[in-house]
Amino acid sequence: MSPKTEIRFKLNGRELQLEVPVTMKTLDLLRERLGLTGTKYACGEGECGACTVQVDGKTVNSCLMYAVDLDGRELLTIEGLRTPQALHPVQQAFVDHGAVQCGFCMPGMIMQANYLIENQPGLTREQAKRGLEGNLCRCTGYTKVLDAVESVVQSKA
Amino acid sequence: MTTGTVQKYLAPTRLEPALAALALPGGATVLAGGTDLAPQTEAGTRRYAAQLLNIRRIEGLAGIRDEGQAIRLGATTTVSEIRQSALMAQVAPALVQAAERFASEQIRNAATVGGNLCNASPASDLSPPLLVLDAEVELCSWRGNAQHTRRLPLAQFFLAPGRTLKEPDELLTAVVFARPGAGFVSRFRKAGPRPALEISTVSLALGARLQGGRLQQVRVALGSVAPTPLRARRAEAALEGRALDEAAIAAAVAAAAEDARPIDDVRASAWYRGHLVRVFMEEVLHDVAEN
Amino acid sequence: MDPTASSNPSSNPSSKARADAAPSLIGQRVKKPDAPDKATGKTRYINDMVLPQMLIGKVLFAGRPHARIVRIDTTAARALPGVHAVLTGADAAGLKFGFVRDNVALKDRVRCEHDEVAAVAAESEDIAARALALIEVEYEDLPGVFTPEAGARDDAPQIHDNFPGNRSLRFEFKHGDLAAAEAGSDFIVDNVFRPHHVTHCCMGTSCAIADFDHNGKLTIWTQTQYPYNYKMDLAPALGIGPGDIRVIQPPVGGAFGSKLDVYPYEPIAALLAKKTGRPVKVLYTRGEEFKASPTRQAAIIHMRTGCTREGTLTFRSADVLLDNGAYTSWGPTIPVIMMRTTSGHYRVPVVDFKAQAIYTNNPYAGSFRGYGNVQTTWATAQQMDMLADLIGMEPLDFHLKNAQLSGEVTPQKSYLRECALVECLQTAAAASDYSRKRRAYAAARTQPGRFKKGIGLASSIHNAGGAKIHKSDGIGTILKVDDYARVTVITGASEIGQGIDAVITLIVAEELGVPTEHVTLVNNDSDIAPWDVGVHASRTTFIAGNGARRAALKAKAQILAGAEKLLGEPAAGLALRGGAVVRAQDGKEIIKLERLLRQMHFQAEPELVMVTDYYEPKSEPEGASHVSDHSAAYAHAVHVAEITVDTLTGEIKVDKVTVAQDVGRVINRMGLEGQIEGGLAIGLGYALSEDMRIEEGRLKNACFRDYKLITAPEMPPVEMHFIESMCAEGPYGAKGISELPTIVIAPAVANALANATGVRIFDPPMSPEKVARAIFEQGLPGASQPEAAARESATV
Repeated sequence: MSPKTEIRFKLNGRELQLEVPVTMKTLDLLRERLGLTGTKYACGEGECGACTVQVDGKTVNSCLMYAVDLDGRELLTIEGLRTPQALHPVQQAFVDHGAVQCGFCMPGMIMQANYLIENQPGLTREQAKRGLEGNLCRCTGYTKVLDAVESVVQSKA
Repeated sequence: MTTGTVQKYLAPTRLEPALAALALPGGATVLAGGTDLAPQTEAGTRRYAAQLLNIRRIEGLAGIRDEGQAIRLGATTTVSEIRQSALMAQVAPALVQAAERFASEQIRNAATVGGNLCNASPASDLSPPLLVLDAEVELCSWRGNAQHTRRLPLAQFFLAPGRTLKEPDELLTAVVFARPGAGFVSRFRKAGPRPALEISTVSLALGARLQGGRLQQVRVALGSVAPTPLRARRAEAALEGRALDEAAIAAAVAAAAEDARPIDDVRASAWYRGHLVRVFMEEVLHDVAEN
Repeated sequence: MDPTASSNPSSNPSSKARADAAPSLIGQRVKKPDAPDKATGKTRYINDMVLPQMLIGKVLFAGRPHARIVRIDTTAARALPGVHAVLTGADAAGLKFGFVRDNVALKDRVRCEHDEVAAVAAESEDIAARALALIEVEYEDLPGVFTPEAGARDDAPQIHDNFPGNRSLRFEFKHGDLAAAEAGSDFIVDNVFRPHHVTHCCMGTSCAIADFDHNGKLTIWTQTQYPYNYKMDLAPALGIGPGDIRVIQPPVGGAFGSKLDVYPYEPIAALLAKKTGRPVKVLYTRGEEFKASPTRQAAIIHMRTGCTREGTLTFRSADVLLDNGAYTSWGPTIPVIMMRTTSGHYRVPVVDFKAQAIYTNNPYAGSFRGYGNVQTTWATAQQMDMLADLIGMEPLDFHLKNAQLSGEVTPQKSYLRECALVECLQTAAAASDYSRKRRAYAAARTQPGRFKKGIGLASSIHNAGGAKIHKSDGIGTILKVDDYARVTVITGASEIGQGIDAVITLIVAEELGVPTEHVTLVNNDSDIAPWDVGVHASRTTFIAGNGARRAALKAKAQILAGAEKLLGEPAAGLALRGGAVVRAQDGKEIIKLERLLRQMHFQAEPELVMVTDYYEPKSEPEGASHVSDHSAAYAHAVHVAEITVDTLTGEIKVDKVTVAQDVGRVINRMGLEGQIEGGLAIGLGYALSEDMRIEEGRLKNACFRDYKLITAPEMPPVEMHFIESMCAEGPYGAKGISELPTIVIAPAVANALANATGVRIFDPPMSPEKVARAIFEQGLPGASQPEAAARESATV
């Protein structure tokens, strides 16, 4: 059993302080400790992107990120995207464009799509494809995911 | 599952406590982005030491510095930072290309250049472009009450898959290379229909000074065709000082095939790897010749 | 085709009344009802579920392909604090399950790498994993059998006592005089194809949660696609009665056919729950998922197709050898569909099909989207392309010449009542400029140039209205409308991500004139919902859609009769629209629907609107002779794939795919597109990059790094043309659609590769290495022509 250490970080905008085992991964912290099951386990090896979260504004695979490294940082998960009143525009676009089938990969896909849209003004469809390369989906063939991304980019232009 | 047990966790903001921890008996497992450490410890192919040392917060270890004659990449520089750096685009386009083709965006945001080199995978995508830049690694340690720093050419650094010349009490603190001079050309090529997520089947980098149609100080590096990333010395010899004509290209292609020592594995056969080495060597040389 | 001009009045009874009405929902882009919760991470998949007092179950896999278990000692594991139960083969002895009763939940003998030899229930995953490591097993390794040819030999080790010679299932179908047809052929192509092992890679790994109540009734939360027959299949693995099993289906992360059978981890969860008296959850890691979940059935197909020099097909014969793997699931039953393709893909006068499955110590196959047709069409569509070139005929003309027309019947009596193959061929070929490009690219083959373009066309036929391989292919639906005009549809249909929730909601909203948001679907509890045979054979839109429509029409009839009684207006002149009862001819609102319902409820003789329906499609049972109209409908699709081949690296880039598919009628346009795009991506992975590397019974690439799914940059643009043949039996004319996209794309790409380079690959995937090697060897002196491939008999 690994020893624990205290970390202090912001989770979806709120300050959190807790003790975590030093080898625990952020994915397990979210799912097992904090009950935030929106972020998914689908491979645990950083190959599929289903566990994508945003740390200090950059997306990473939470299955590879040691929770201790959250100390002093800001974590955004899928649960933190929407407001109480409405879905986040990226989430709404995914719904409107039929990009969601079984939906299991979608939290990671949406987190990554949102990151790409926020950080690359004028994101093209080709750039979006490259940026989503690390998010595997078995249901949709990605086409409507890209349609949704394009629609958000266009609405911002 | 034999992962070993961590007994202590440190996340220092200065180098000295990190080196002191590494100097203790049993050393420390270094954590930066975790993109190799996490899957390897999960799979049981790597054990934790008693100390888990997070180096991501150490001042001076991050970022890319233009030191005039030299360029310095701090060990915790992420692959994304390399990819997005205007300086890198200017002085090391092949390295930027390798960064663009590295795993996925999520991995690029966490993986560090120091971690990639210390992991010493034969498929390390950053290594071939760094090798053709004649890069050196900077290693620091705390010995006999003083900090020691040494530099090693990257070309000597890799010993075997997962093994380098770095001593257990040393920390890789930076990768440094001389600013390429005028006329320096470089290319990078990696195989696979997936632009990045493909674990490298073969990668090739070329660096050289092109003057008057002749190549000088030729460097050719190959990935995934030997136990470590390596310099293709025969290919370099075949090109050194020569005009880039069809005969030179053919000679370099044949020589590169001899330099490569590919194996059959689940990802590719030795035949295909050797074939790609020839294809890439010819492709990058023609590309240089035509541009 | 104009949907409202259907000659069959039953297909759209209110079309006339709709003249000036609100737009119909049929054919619209309807959002999936569960999408918002999935997009916000709110949906609780089975993988996310936690029950009070729940224990974690983990399985100890043998890790070797063939062995005797000499000794198994669980003492240390049982003693570990936090461990509640450790089970071994002794705990499942005699509890045989499976299609041929050749499997048990925990083994006393190892027949494949992922055989389950022990299982643990503990308070955490970590403790369960440590307990597994403490179980001591002594094995005596036995010689293994790793190909069906090896398994068929007289001296091969016997894998199951009850199956001498390792012979598993056998299938045969013959029609006509083969010898005469061969003699009458001017051209014959004769090739061996080796469709390979791939796996489903559902993003949600396999998971089951089991819990017994005080009466010994089992509740199992499962990813099953066939909740009712599942009870029947699970019961013998536990020694309980099917009636004592309640099946609950939480949201799942994909299925694609993998959950059409019972797999050992499910009875293991139940056995652990029984032993511990607590709920037990078994959840696979991705590595376990790769090794231990079912594959697509691999096969060796020796196919021969003949034709006259005028281009008329004369016969098709197929000799198929199947690697049964260690146990019999749905894999070795694919010949039932393979023969339908063999006899029904184009007009084939004479057919000879035989298939034999042989047990081996390899992983075993289940059902996977496309089910046998992927493998067979890989062969038939390439041979069609090859024959066209042999005859010297334009491929499109060759296809059209042999394409069936509406009303034709295949040699197996598949009745192609509404057949749109001709239209699909013409549409796809015209839209892609197929014929001209094919000629141009073929001519360019001999020009210098590293990158070559190619275009390839393939088609297929598949069930589009179920397949009556069980006693019933039907579905029960219960529907109620409450006092606020809110509708609840309780359907036997399973939602596995394919969008049946959107389709049913849409249909019911359409018929009852209410907003889709006012329709609630209940479909995930076998104690509540009525029977359905499951999600397979592209049946769900057709059968569940019809069931929902029939139930809605019954409710509508009851409501309009109530309106007639209470309001004095003849029911025949009324309709339901916009949440109200309206006059059919001009849409004038007479009364709000909810008001009428309350009046019906609170009258002297109260009436609630509650209806039931059981819909059995008009298809015939499969039968032992395999001569029957076994589906309520059939459909065709044509794909034209345009590619660029890097002749040096062998990389194939698919630039564009043009799809023409007979969908009968578009119901949910957005869902339909999504299913075609997604099915095509699975087929592309099959064609280009997915490959289970099984060596001596061990899977070598059990991770996403080395088992390559199609990623976003690799997906081509898809141009879709929906052909509406207006299936008389289907809901609003619709046919099932989801498997054809997976079936047709791979041979389209193979044909494009041949067009671009002259190279044919018969053993998928067409990986860069294989393509590079084939091109390289083609350039060597003495290289053989693909059409004259050595004949290798696969008969056993």
